Amino acid sequence: MTKAIVINKTADQGLTEVLKFLLENDRVKGVFTLKKINKEGDVSYSLITNADDLKDSVPFYPLMPVNAAKILSRFTLKGPSDVPIVAVLKPCELRAFIELVKREQGSLENLFFISSTCAGVFPLEMGKERLIEKNLSKYFEKIKKLEILDDLRPVCRSCEEFVPYNADMTVKLIGENIDKKSIIFLNTKKAEKLVEGIKLDVSEKDLDKKTLDNFKSKRAEEKKKIFADIDKKTNGIDGLIDLFGRCIGCHACREACPICYCKLCEFDSSDCEYKPSNYEIELRKRGGLRVPPGTVYYHLGRLDHVTISCVGCGSCEDVCPVDIPLSAIFKKVGESVQKMFDYIPGRDPKEDLPITTFEKEELTEFEE
Amino acid sequence: MNKPKNKAAVVKVKSDIEKSVLDFLKKGMDNEIFDAVLIPMKVPAGDSFAYVLIKDKSLLKDASYLPPVMPVQGANAVSSITRLGKGKMKIAAVMRPCETRATVELTKLGQTDLENIILISMDCPGVLPLSDFVNDSKKGMKLFNESIKKEEDKEMRPVCQICDKSSMIAGDLHIGTLGAKKDTFFVISNSDKGDEILSKLKISKNEDLDSWLSKVKNISEEKLKKRKNAHKILKSQVGGLDNLLDTFSQCINCHNCMRVCPVCYCRLCYFDSDKVKHPSDDYLMRAEKTGSLRCPSDITLFQMGRMMHMSLSCVSCGMCEDACPMDIPVAQIFSMVADETQDLFDYVSGRDIEEPLPFVSYKEKELEEMEDAA
Amino acid sequence: MKKDDEFLPKIIAFLCNWCSYAGADLAGTSRLKYPPSILPIRVMCSSRVDPLFVIKAYLGGADGVLIAGCHPGDCHYEKGNYYTRRRFAVLKTIAENLKLESDRLKLSWISASEGPKYAKVATEFTEQIKKVGENHTKNQIFL
Repeated sequence: MTKAIVINKTADQGLTEVLKFLLENDRVKGVFTLKKINKEGDVSYSLITNADDLKDSVPFYPLMPVNAAKILSRFTLKGPSDVPIVAVLKPCELRAFIELVKREQGSLENLFFISSTCAGVFPLEMGKERLIEKNLSKYFEKIKKLEILDDLRPVCRSCEEFVPYNADMTVKLIGENIDKKSIIFLNTKKAEKLVEGIKLDVSEKDLDKKTLDNFKSKRAEEKKKIFADIDKKTNGIDGLIDLFGRCIGCHACREACPICYCKLCEFDSSDCEYKPSNYEIELRKRGGLRVPPGTVYYHLGRLDHVTISCVGCGSCEDVCPVDIPLSAIFKKVGESVQKMFDYIPGRDPKEDLPITTFEKEELTEFEE
Repeated sequence: MNKPKNKAAVVKVKSDIEKSVLDFLKKGMDNEIFDAVLIPMKVPAGDSFAYVLIKDKSLLKDASYLPPVMPVQGANAVSSITRLGKGKMKIAAVMRPCETRATVELTKLGQTDLENIILISMDCPGVLPLSDFVNDSKKGMKLFNESIKKEEDKEMRPVCQICDKSSMIAGDLHIGTLGAKKDTFFVISNSDKGDEILSKLKISKNEDLDSWLSKVKNISEEKLKKRKNAHKILKSQVGGLDNLLDTFSQCINCHNCMRVCPVCYCRLCYFDSDKVKHPSDDYLMRAEKTGSLRCPSDITLFQMGRMMHMSLSCVSCGMCEDACPMDIPVAQIFSMVADETQDLFDYVSGRDIEEPLPFVSYKEKELEEMEDAA
Repeated sequence: MKKDDEFLPKIIAFLCNWCSYAGADLAGTSRLKYPPSILPIRVMCSSRVDPLFVIKAYLGGADGVLIAGCHPGDCHYEKGNYYTRRRFAVLKTIAENLKLESDRLKLSWISASEGPKYAKVATEFTEQIKKVGENHTKNQIFL
């Protein structure tokens, strides 16, 4: 049983009330959350310092224009925040931020996190086409009934990590009638202190593990389907050539990925700049060579670099101009790499990245 | 480059233009005029095209000199081969006029070495939007071929529909299909290199080019009218701060446009560098000024900054718009502004390799309308 | 007698200076017989091997890639080979997941005195690669 604030308003409105309280009572100096930015209803993350600006905030809008971990990382890159800030993030975004903190690309100091039992988001394309508003009631219905909406992104439909780790507050979305009621769990002492004095109902509630486990198995079923589908396509080098044939080398996937933080990526560096003599050698071997070269190399390299921390946020696929099913590939490979070390990226800020530590005896199946 | 043309070679077409152009290239390799050809080929999965540097002549038969899409800017392909020098191979690079112009611009910017490159362009009908094509390539091929047959361009990308330089010659050779007699095409030389190739291939250039010149002039004038009109409408839609912010309201600052742009060659873009990474109190201060700060921030700074950096070399190739995940009409906007900035200096990007970049040259008296001549 | 059309694999072997390279050297000076399929590259420590080298070698057409280092606990630099083992595990898992013939990748611990072990590893790995067959990425154009 955990203390929880119960508000008879939509989840968006309910949390916004809490955020308003935090700003107005100087408990935090700024709020990071999704906000409507124009009359057409387009949505973007914003750093809000004035409580009045919260009137347009939509913390649980089912869209992820950018992985918020990147934004928090930029905010705390040059040093920790001097003042308390609260950030409303999806579980995968929070996990990604913690993975970035482990890589010294951000700081947790003075940051409070509000997350939710995430019901998933729509593809970025639907946000671009402004089709989300008309799908909202369908979205709420499915959440209440613990069903998975077909239109959601594949990574969301198959996500089993929808209960956040390390959140100071968790808003109950799944299984709840979020069109009418919001339940905000206060997970930490920090959270209780933040809302001290708030004139709202606080009661003891349960996150209902059974319901969540039930939902998790539904998501696991979806995952099985999606993984089986991508498994057919990732069939050796020919499979990769087919999948990445249409890749235009824009590297948008890398830019969108929260884990890819390198100022100068290996694949943009002079390591990957070839002299004419390199081409001449390759041509003697192959007779012909795709230019610029290294399409499959880039993707395999990125798989090697990021999958230990891949949180399956799906940003890579959202920004791909030619719709390569990247998120399924990275999520599937990511899970098998992480399973080897019993590692869940972002679960625990104190947990070392598996590739920066070792055991004296391990992985004997890989050595000779 | 840029020799006055009124005569050209004429090549007879056997079966279809595509095969005859490939034959022409094969002849060039057979006669050791060039050692390799850089030309688009369909990828194994059939859903897109990619530039391939071909040394094995037998691969030529699967090449496509005029693919329906532009997934990669040809200038980037040439630059990736010759940025570090010219190499021993003579390479014939077959690409569209805007790609040839971008290659010329990149050479001025020190990013390619054209000594062993032969640039071959062709009359361009435009390209289809990339993301539509890759999701249904059969339909795309059909649309493209029909558009060419009917001489229509409504299926092509918006920037292509208003391109008045679709037959501009900036390279060494140009394949002129417009105005050519039935079952023939012109091969127009634009440089000494081009002349040399034609003479080595024993193709004489003594046919009258008037029919091509007049057809190209007509099309170009018509397109220019369309262009001016489209720009007028676009200006009213995006002009002014409110409209500009509205246009870019969906921009997620992914920087795709910058990365696929042939002119944007900086390995570490200014807008990815430390210059735009600020401490947290900086961001807070900015947020406090208006009550909230949109994140990621500095989107307008990026767009206008990029415009400032590359406008003088923009070739209106439209790669940026194809790569934008939010379908923002970046190419149309940047292309419109580029027309005006280049006009200031009577400059056309990529037109002439001898023409210096406006920012690295000056006249002692110029642009008086810009200065405060008190 | 070697048949003219018999496939001789090209195996890139990253050998650490202090242990496996010395072991390979010992195999040579002891005149131990093993197939001429190994192309050795000496590195100071097996942890110098960036997984990208292995990927590059595979995409370049190498029929096999061997990483050999000191036995765990005996690394000249104390812990390098522990990291090697983890990195190799990640790379091999990726290759398995994408069905990229992960049998072409091998990690082995060979000390400076284990000349015979080097010859054995070389022989057995060559046999294994012969069964997997030639790596056709060397002919691929669209990589």
